[in-house]
Amino acid sequence: MRWTTLSVVVLLAVAGCSGGESAVPGGAPPSAIDRLLAKAPVATAIPAGSAMARIKDRGELLIGGSLDAPLLSQQNPGTGELTGFDADLGKLLAKYIIGEPKTKLVTSTSETREPLLANGTVDVILQTYTITPQRAERVAFAGPYYSSGQAIAVRRGTTGIAKPADLAGRKVIAGANTPAIAAIKAAAPTAEIVEFGSDPECLTALRQGRGEAYVQDQALLIADAAQDGELEVVGEPFTTDPYGIGLKHGDEQFKQFVNDWLREIQKSGLWQDVWRDSIGTVVKGDPPTPPVIGSAQGS
Amino acid sequence: MSHLPDLVGGFLTTLALVALSAAGAFALGVVVVVLRVGPLRVLRAVGTGYVETFQNIPLLVWLVLFVFGLPEVGVRFPLFTTAVVVISLYEAAYVAEALRSGVNTVAQGQGEAARALGLTFGQTLRHVVVPQAARRVVQPLGNIGIALTMNTSLAAVAGVVELTASANRVNLVEALPIPIFVGAGLCYALLAAGIGGLAGVLERRLAT
Amino acid sequence: MMFDPPGPRGRRRSRIASAVAVVVVLALVLVAVRRFDAAGQLEVAKWRPFLTWPVWRYLLTGLWATVLAAAMIFLLAAVAGLALAFGRMSSFPWPFKAYIEVVRTIPVLLLIYVVLFVLPAYGLDLPLFWKLVLPLAVSHAAQFAEVFRAGVLAVDRGQGEAGASLGLTHAQNMRLVVLPQAVRHVLPSLVSQTVGLLKDTALGYVVSYLELLQSGRVLANFNHLLIQTFLVVGLVYLVVNASLSKLARHLEARGARSAR
Repeated sequence: MRWTTLSVVVLLAVAGCSGGESAVPGGAPPSAIDRLLAKAPVATAIPAGSAMARIKDRGELLIGGSLDAPLLSQQNPGTGELTGFDADLGKLLAKYIIGEPKTKLVTSTSETREPLLANGTVDVILQTYTITPQRAERVAFAGPYYSSGQAIAVRRGTTGIAKPADLAGRKVIAGANTPAIAAIKAAAPTAEIVEFGSDPECLTALRQGRGEAYVQDQALLIADAAQDGELEVVGEPFTTDPYGIGLKHGDEQFKQFVNDWLREIQKSGLWQDVWRDSIGTVVKGDPPTPPVIGSAQGS
Repeated sequence: MSHLPDLVGGFLTTLALVALSAAGAFALGVVVVVLRVGPLRVLRAVGTGYVETFQNIPLLVWLVLFVFGLPEVGVRFPLFTTAVVVISLYEAAYVAEALRSGVNTVAQGQGEAARALGLTFGQTLRHVVVPQAARRVVQPLGNIGIALTMNTSLAAVAGVVELTASANRVNLVEALPIPIFVGAGLCYALLAAGIGGLAGVLERRLAT
Repeated sequence: MMFDPPGPRGRRRSRIASAVAVVVVLALVLVAVRRFDAAGQLEVAKWRPFLTWPVWRYLLTGLWATVLAAAMIFLLAAVAGLALAFGRMSSFPWPFKAYIEVVRTIPVLLLIYVVLFVLPAYGLDLPLFWKLVLPLAVSHAAQFAEVFRAGVLAVDRGQGEAGASLGLTHAQNMRLVVLPQAVRHVLPSLVSQTVGLLKDTALGYVVSYLELLQSGRVLANFNHLLIQTFLVVGLVYLVVNASLSKLARHLEARGARSAR
C-alpha cells in the first residue's frame, strides 16, 4: 500500500519542519515555581536513619501522583513539565528535604496508592487523597494541606438543578474512579451515574447531552468553565474533601516532619503563593485560609 | 453480597451486547466480503479499505471516536447503541476476512465450472461457493464470536455498564476482588463455552 | 474468479455501477465532513497544535512506549506459546490444553483488573510496565500457542515420517524438518497476531502506563481537543499497523515463491 509510506513521509515532514513553534495552547500558564523555589525553606535538621535521611541520600523525592489533573498535577506534553498545586508542593517538599527540588513522579491510581506506599515504591502520595478514618488505618496522612469539595456543573440554560438533591432521578456524569461517584450516591441515591474516563470526555459528554449535570471537584469545574462559555457551575461545593499527603503507615516521625513543613509554608505565605500560581489562576479572589494541620478526622 | 443484582444486570447487558453485535457483525461482514470478492474494482477497494482501517486501529480508539465524534456530525445514538454499532463495525472486518478465506478454499475450478454452466456471480455464490465454504468457516467464526465477547468488556469506555464495569464498580464498594473478578471470569468463560458449543453443533450439522 | 470477463454491455453496466458507488461513497464522506465542519471541529485553531513538534515528540514518545511494551509481550508470549504448543502436542497434553482453552475465554481487561486489584491486596504491586505486559503476555501466549500448533500441523505428515525413517530422533526431526517448514506457514498469522497485540497495548490507559493511547488522553486533557487528538492517535496506529500488515503480505508472497 503506497499511501502508507506516503503518510509516514508526510507525518515526518510535518513533524520536522515546524519544530520551533511553541507548546500546546489551552493549558494553564507556566507556573512561576522557580521564583517560589528560590525563597523556599530547607530543613535545618534531618535525623539520621529516618525516612527523610534516606530520601536525602537518594537525592530524589519519589512522589505518587497524576499526570492529568488540571490545576493540581498536570504534565505539559510540550515541555514534559509537571504543573499545579500538588506538583508545586511536591517540589517544595523535595527542596525542604534534599535542598534541591528533585522529584520523580510515579503515576498512581486510587487503587494502587496504598500498596505503592507500603512497599516503598514512593515516598509520598500527592494526589487529591481525601483523608478518611478508614484510610488512616492503612496510611499515615500529613495535613490536610488543602480543602476542596465536589460541585455541580450544567449546560448554560439548564433549569431545575440548583442543589445536590435536584440530581435525584437524573442522568449525572462523573469521572470514573473519582470521589464524585460516592458524593452523588450520598446526595441523590436515585441519580443514574454515567462514567467516563477523563475530564474532557465528561465535558464533551455533557455538551452532547449524555447527562444533565456533571459532578467534579469545584476548582476543576471553575477551570473548565473559564475555557467553555457553555458550562455553568451551580452553587457551592456540597462536600468537604480534606486532602492529605499520604505517607507510609506508622511513620510518625515523617508525618511530624511533613506537618512541621506545612505549618512553616502556611505561616510564611508560600502556601498562598503556590495557590495563586495554580488554583488561583481560575478561582477569583484571595487565597482561602489554609486548613489547620491535623484538623481532619484521620490526620 | 448485596450487590448481586448489579452484577446480574451487568451480565445481562453483556449478553445483549454480544447477541446484537454478533448479529450486526455477521450481517455487515457478509456485505463486506461480497464487495471484496465481487466483480467491481471500486467496491473491492472499498471492502479492502474497510477491513484495513478497522483491523489496524484499536477498538478503544474507535469507541472514543464514535461516542464523542458521531454527535459532532449530527448522529446521536444512546450509548448502548453506539457500543453495539462500534463493536459490530470492528468485528465485521474480522468476519469478512474469515468468510473470504473460506471462499478462497473452494477450488478455483468450481467457480469456473459454475461459470461454464452459465451461472451468474450471485448464483455461483449461492449454489456453489456458500454451501462448500459454510462448514469451513464455522470454526473461525466461532473464534471471532469468542473474541467479540471478550471485546464487549471495553464498552465501559463508552459509559456502558456491562459485566466487567459492574464488577469493577462493585469491587470499589465491597473490596472483595477475588470472588467478584473470578465470578465475572466464570461468566465470560460460560458465554465463550456456549459459543464454542454452538459452533461445534453447527459444524456437525453442515457436515452432512 | 467467480465471474466472467464482462462483455461490452457488462463493461458499461459495471462502469455505471462503479460511478454510482464512487458518488455514493464520496457524498457520504462529504456530508460527514461538512457536518463536522459545521460543528466547529475543523477550525484551524483546533488542528494547528498537531503541526507542532512538541506535540509529536510527546505522541512519538508514547508510540515508543507502545512498541517497547509490544516487543516485550511478543517475546514472552512467543516463548511461552511455543512451549504451550509443544506441550499440547506431547503425550501429556491436558494441562497445556486447559491453559489455552481457559485463558482464551477471559477478557484481557479482566486479567488486568486482577493484576491491578487482586495482587496489590497481597502486597505485590508491579511497576506500571509489567501491570500491562504481564496480563497481555498471559493472554497472548495462548493465542501464539494455537498459531504455532496450526503451523506444525500444517506440515505434511509424510515429511515427519520421512525424517523418522532416515533415523532422525524426534527432537532432530522437529528442529531440522518440521519447524523450518512450520515457520513459513505461521509467519503471516504471526504478524497479524502481532498487530492484535500492538492494538491491545492500548489497554495501557487502564493502568495509566503512558503508551500511545494514554499519551493521547493526557494530551487531550491538556489541550481540550478530544476528538482531534483521538483522530491523530488513530491515524498513527493505522500507519504503524498497516506497515506491519504490509510486511506480512510481503513475507507471505516471498514464502509462496520460495516454496515452489
